[in-house]
Amino acid sequence: MLLKIKNNIEEMSRICDTVREFCVGNGIPDERYHDIILVLDEVVTNVINYAYQDEEEHEFSLYLDKDDQNVSIKLIDNGMAFNPLEQEDPDICSSIEERQIGGLGIFIVKQLAEVVEYSRIDEQNQLSIVIAVYDKKGER
Amino acid sequence: MEIKTAVQDNVTIITPTGRVDTSTAKAFEDGVMSAVNSSNKIAIRFDEIDYISSAGLRVVLMAGKKLTSLKGILVLINMPEKIFSIFKMSGFDKILKICPSFEESKQFFN
Repeated sequence: MLLKIKNNIEEMSRICDTVREFCVGNGIPDERYHDIILVLDEVVTNVINYAYQDEEEHEFSLYLDKDDQNVSIKLIDNGMAFNPLEQEDPDICSSIEERQIGGLGIFIVKQLAEVVEYSRIDEQNQLSIVIAVYDKKGER
Repeated sequence: MEIKTAVQDNVTIITPTGRVDTSTAKAFEDGVMSAVNSSNKIAIRFDEIDYISSAGLRVVLMAGKKLTSLKGILVLINMPEKIFSIFKMSGFDKILKICPSFEESKQFFN
């Protein structure tokens, strides 16, 4: 499935509806829909908020596929080069006073996904994410 | 997103509904921080939201930090398993109080 998304934060509700239909249609459990939509929120929001420096309207692509085991997400945008995997993980063991407020988004994506890959090809950012549909990862 | 606020046993209970994400985080922040500014006993209920993204977690952490510095109390209640797992993987279960129900959160407020 291909979804064209504009760089407008209001797009999230349309994405939620479309992904809900995709999950129901493919028999994906509700719990996994939650993880998929959370991952999409984090990565799509990043592109909407940071990929384009001008005030113009831009469009980027979200591909969603499912096979026997996994849901594969691919996000392709022609915004400025940004590799989210280079972002440092937050220190999740620090005290509440010392705990930093940012940096959680991509960390959550990495925790929920089996695979996260980034590449810059032909002046486009390509982010590929694989989420297991049935097997729970780790001790979650 | 809609935010309901109620006061019970001198505790302000905040109940967000729907999606707590980047598009709604500002409204969530306004609701939570205005409660924090008027009360130092706050409970946030999580059983009426679809999901909470990092933008929403940021607001919860801010409220926790503020209340800690004011010697106030924040307890997160009625959290479904799928939401709890996100708090846990973020390390928030170690720095914030999480309780199954309002009834059980009273031990912290009294």
